[in-house]
Formats: sequence, C-alpha cells, structure tokens
Amino acid sequence: MNLSIETIALVGVIGLLGVGLYGLLISRNLIKIVVGLQILVKAALLGIVLAGKINGQPLLAQSMVITIIVADTIVAVIGIAMIVQIRRQLGTLDVSELSKLKG
Amino acid sequence: MAELIIILTILIPWFGGLVVWAVGDQHPNLQHRLAAGFSVLGGIISLFLLMYIQDVPVVRVDIGGVFGSFTLVPDGLGVYLAIIAAVIGSLAVIFSNNYMKGEAQLGRYYSLMLLFIGAMVGLVLSGSLLFMFVFWEITAFCSYALISFHNDDPKAVYGGIKALIMTQIGGVGLLLGALAAYAYLGSYQINDFIANTAEFPTGVLAVIAFGFLVAAAAKSAQVPFHTWLPDAMEAPTPISALIHAATMVNAGVYLLARFFPAFEPVSGWTIAVMTVGLLSALMAAILAAGTYDLKRTLAYSTISQLGYMVYAIGVSGIYASQFHLLSHSVFKALLFLGAGAVIHAVGTRNMREMGALGKSMRFVAIVFVIGTLALAGLPVTNGFFSKELVLEAGLNHGAAWAYAGMLIGVAITGYYSIRMVRLVFFNPANSSKQPHPTGLAMRISLAVLAVGTLLTWLLAGPFSRMLAGSLPYHRLEPESTLDVVLEVLTNPTTWITVLVVLFGISLWFLRGRLAGLIHALQPLNRLTNQDFGFEWLNRQIIRITNRVATTLRKTQTGQLNWNVFGIVGALVILLILIVWIG
Repeated sequence: MNLSIETIALVGVIGLLGVGLYGLLISRNLIKIVVGLQILVKAALLGIVLAGKINGQPLLAQSMVITIIVADTIVAVIGIAMIVQIRRQLGTLDVSELSKLKG
Repeated sequence: MAELIIILTILIPWFGGLVVWAVGDQHPNLQHRLAAGFSVLGGIISLFLLMYIQDVPVVRVDIGGVFGSFTLVPDGLGVYLAIIAAVIGSLAVIFSNNYMKGEAQLGRYYSLMLLFIGAMVGLVLSGSLLFMFVFWEITAFCSYALISFHNDDPKAVYGGIKALIMTQIGGVGLLLGALAAYAYLGSYQINDFIANTAEFPTGVLAVIAFGFLVAAAAKSAQVPFHTWLPDAMEAPTPISALIHAATMVNAGVYLLARFFPAFEPVSGWTIAVMTVGLLSALMAAILAAGTYDLKRTLAYSTISQLGYMVYAIGVSGIYASQFHLLSHSVFKALLFLGAGAVIHAVGTRNMREMGALGKSMRFVAIVFVIGTLALAGLPVTNGFFSKELVLEAGLNHGAAWAYAGMLIGVAITGYYSIRMVRLVFFNPANSSKQPHPTGLAMRISLAVLAVGTLLTWLLAGPFSRMLAGSLPYHRLEPESTLDVVLEVLTNPTTWITVLVVLFGISLWFLRGRLAGLIHALQPLNRLTNQDFGFEWLNRQIIRITNRVATTLRKTQTGQLNWNVFGIVGALVILLILIVWIG
C-alpha cells in the first residue's frame, strides 16, 4: 500500500479532530476540556500545514501556524489560570456544578 | 449642479441632525433654532430639484461586488415625494419649536427627525433597489425610535416595538423581491428591472410583485398590517404629522406606483391591490367613526385615505393616486398639526373632554375646518379634486362593486369628519380648563399648510406634465390644470360623490332620530372595539411565538457537552447531505 505524506497528514487531522471533539463531548472536568480544546486546535493547525503543502506555499502555512501556536498557548495558559482560580474559589472542577456564571 | 443639489437634499438634514445632537441638551433654544434652520434649508434646496427632472441617474457610485451601483434618479415621482418630505418635514420641525418647548432630550428628538427627513428623500430618489431597502429600514428605525420617544411610558414603548416589528415584515418582503430581481437580472437598478420584466419567469415575477405588496401594505398600514398605526399615536404629535401621515406611510404607495408597469401583467395582482385598498378604506373609516381619541381618529382616517391611493393604483389610476397622495400629505399634516395645537392647549387627546374650542382657539379652528373639508372631499380644497380623480379612475377601470364600496367609505368619511370637528370645536364645553394660547411657530406651520390645502389642486397640470415627462414606462398622459378641473367639475360622478359626503354629514345631525338604526348596529360596534378581530390575531401570533420560544429555549442548556454535540451532529448531517447529493 502506497501512502503519500498528504494522506497520512489528512488521517492525522481527522483523527485529532475526532479525539478533540470526543473530549469536549464527554468530559466534565475543566482540565480535560482544555486538553480537548487544545487537541482540536492542533487538528486545525495540522490541516493548515497540509493545505500549505498541497497549495505549494508550505512556508506561508508554517509561519501562520507558528503564530497561531503562540496565540493558542496564551489561551491555554489563561484558561488553566482561570481553572486554578475556580478550583480555589469554588472547590470543584465539574462544569455541570459551575452554574454561578449562568446568566 | 444637479448632482450637488440632489446630494445636499439628503445630506443637509443628516448634517443638521449631527450638529443638533452635538450641541447638547443644555442649550435647548439653540437646538430649536438649528433644527429649524437646517430643515428649512433642506426644504428650500429640495425645491431646486424641480429644475433637473430626468429619468436617468445623475449620481452613480459603483460600490462593486454584489452591491451594484448606488444611483440617485430625480424623476417626477421621486422629486415630488422628496419635496413633500423636506418641506412638510421643515414645517413639522418649526411646529416642534413650540410643541416640544421644555421637553428633555431635544437632541435625540431633532436628530432622529432630521435623520428621518434625509432618509425619506433618499428612499424616493434612490434608483437602486438595494439602497432603497437601506433607506426604507432607516425610516422604519426613525419611526420606531420617535414613537418611543417618551421611553418611560410603557404604551409608547409598546407602540414603537409594534410598529418596528410590523414594518419589518414588510421589509422582508421588499428584500426578498429585490434579491429575486437581482438573481435574475444581475442589477439592482429599478429602471433596468421595469424595462426587462418580460424576461422574468411568471412565477418569479409573481413572487416579487406580492413581496412588494406585502412591503407596501406593512409600511402604509394597510389591511391586514394596519394595527400598528393607531398605536403609533403615542409619538409626539409633530412626529405623527410628519412620519405617520405625510411621508413614511406613503412609501408603500410610492413602491406600488413605481413598480406598477412591471407588475400590471401579473395575474391577480391588480385585483389584490384594489381589494387591499378597498378593505383598508372601508374598515378604517368605520373604526374612525367609533373612536374618541382625537389622534387615533386621525390615524384611522390616514389608513382609510391611504386605502384610496392603493385602490387607485389597483385600478390603474397612477396619476390619481399620486395626486391624492400629494393632497393627503398636505391636508393630513395640517389636521395632525392642528390636533397637536389642540392637544398642546388642553392637555388631553380625548375628544369628549374638549368642546367649545372654536371660540377660544379661533385660528386653529379655522385651519382645522379647512383640513376637514379636504378630508371629506368637499370643494374647493385639494382633497376634493384628488378624491374625485381616484373615484373616477375606479369607476372607469375598476369593478362596480369596488366603486360602490368606496362610495360607502366616502359617506363614512363625511360622517367622522363632521363628528370630529363638532366634538372638538363646536360642542358645549365639557371642561372648564382654559386652553393655552397657540404659539407663533405653530401658527406659521398651520398657515402654510392651510394655504397649501386650499391651493395645491392648482398644481394638477404641472404635476401631471412632470410625471408624464419622466416616467417612460407608466404611459401617463399630460393634462393641463384646466383639463383636470373641467373634467372633475363636469363629471356627474363628482356630484354623486359630493351628495354622498353630504349624506354622511347629515347622518351625524340625524343621529338622534336614527336611534333604532344605531341600536341595530350594536354588534358592529362590538366588532370595531376589537378592531375587527385583527388585534386578537396579533395577540394570538405573539402568544404562539412566545410559546414556541419557551419550548425551544429548553434546547439551550448552556452545557458545553450539549453544544459540542449540536456542532458535531450538524457537521455529520451536512457531510451526509454532501455525500448523498454529490
């Protein structure tokens, strides 16, 4: 079986997408949600790199992805910091119990 | 030069609105004067448009992409409506100088009013359907915001939101028609559309035609969308005069008249237009005869008179409908501003608490009676000539049953006109309150409009030449004023109509002897108290919407897992659809 690098990357994108969505779908723990979200974003990043390779502009795609990784890390850091505060203030990480912010 | 004038007619009121708003509410006198100055300037400049009447765009800005070109076309139909908006707008602003004295938040009031005037001018001069829609929505917004001007009054807020929602229904119809036209033509230009209707499939043209009819009915408060206009009377009275009598509610009639050549071949369209007009004219006249709120009476009579114009378009009387629109704008603005002067003086809108104001407010009484004569269609006012032209067109080109229905409407119009005047001005006094004197600004506005009511019928000839000369698709014949006057005066139907009006008036004086008849009409009275069931219909729609919303709300749990499930589910469904179709 002759697998090209594009096919392998595409399978990777779909696999990461599935894992990330599954994580968001079933997890109630806030940390697991952030992990799922990160996996989802990584799927999108891999997709962008793949698209750059197919379009013949790999450098553009890679530099974009680097930028997004930096921004996304900040999202993760702030998310985790808020989670730590939530754990300290409310004593739980279960999203279904966190109804205090509900408008 | 034409470019400059046409753009200034829109931009001067808008700029004035900004200036008045920027001046700030701590300088009310300056705000009054600035608003009056800018609106009068806009009105004067709009008159110069008369020199540049043509049927090709004078301003063309290519926006590009799907937005097409923004064009302004000063043809006869657009220019006269722009002049009505700018001139009556300036009179309403002048009137407000007295009427709104001492009110808070004048900046909001005047800037919305000036924004409205500019948007109305843009609406009627726009040659592009898309930008017409944009201006259409700006006028709807101003109408909503000004109805709810006293936003601490729940009734005003209710009326404003009701008007907004109901005119939005019409906006959807207009947008639907505009997009369908663009999809088939690749252009939003109104003249391209009218010239090329033969290329459209019948079904698509019918969708556009009836979409526009819905838009017109909602904007012009015609059956079954008329219920918003009486509730819009919570607005300050100059607003009612300007937006809900003289200009914005005419936009629907304008739309129908503008597109008449395109939609005439659509089967059933003219009949539908005629029926909408007839039902509105009759039902609103009956409702006007039963209410004791002065402004609501005038609102119902506006619906009724707009019904005459819509009816005239349904029977191919474009010229008659537009001439009646011109007359109606002038005399109804006069009546509303007169009512405003009365309400300002006695502090109530209930006609049962008025009476005997004829002595203490002689000037207002005189101009109000002039306006009422025009409303009833009695000589020699502008309403007399234009209403006769409408009815003549109805008799010559329309069904006999519809003409008979309109005659009944004419009789009821006579009845409620005399009832209104008697209750307000000439009944024995029901209140010992001493009315406030009428201010100078009020008198100026009223005097100009009263003179207009007595004289605008002299414009019949130039008006006809202007429309015929710049509307190539409408096939109008130019006529001179003398022709029109002779035609009206020598036509026997004119005198039948006048007799019918006098019959309606005499009904009021004979109402004591007709006690048996009035008693027999009790069920009708109960029906009118509920607005012929339309209010009930509105409430049912609101109730059903609320119930559906409450039910659907349960799907919005706010839970992340559930939302992700929704996203994934939708994605899966979309993928299945793509695989299945592709």
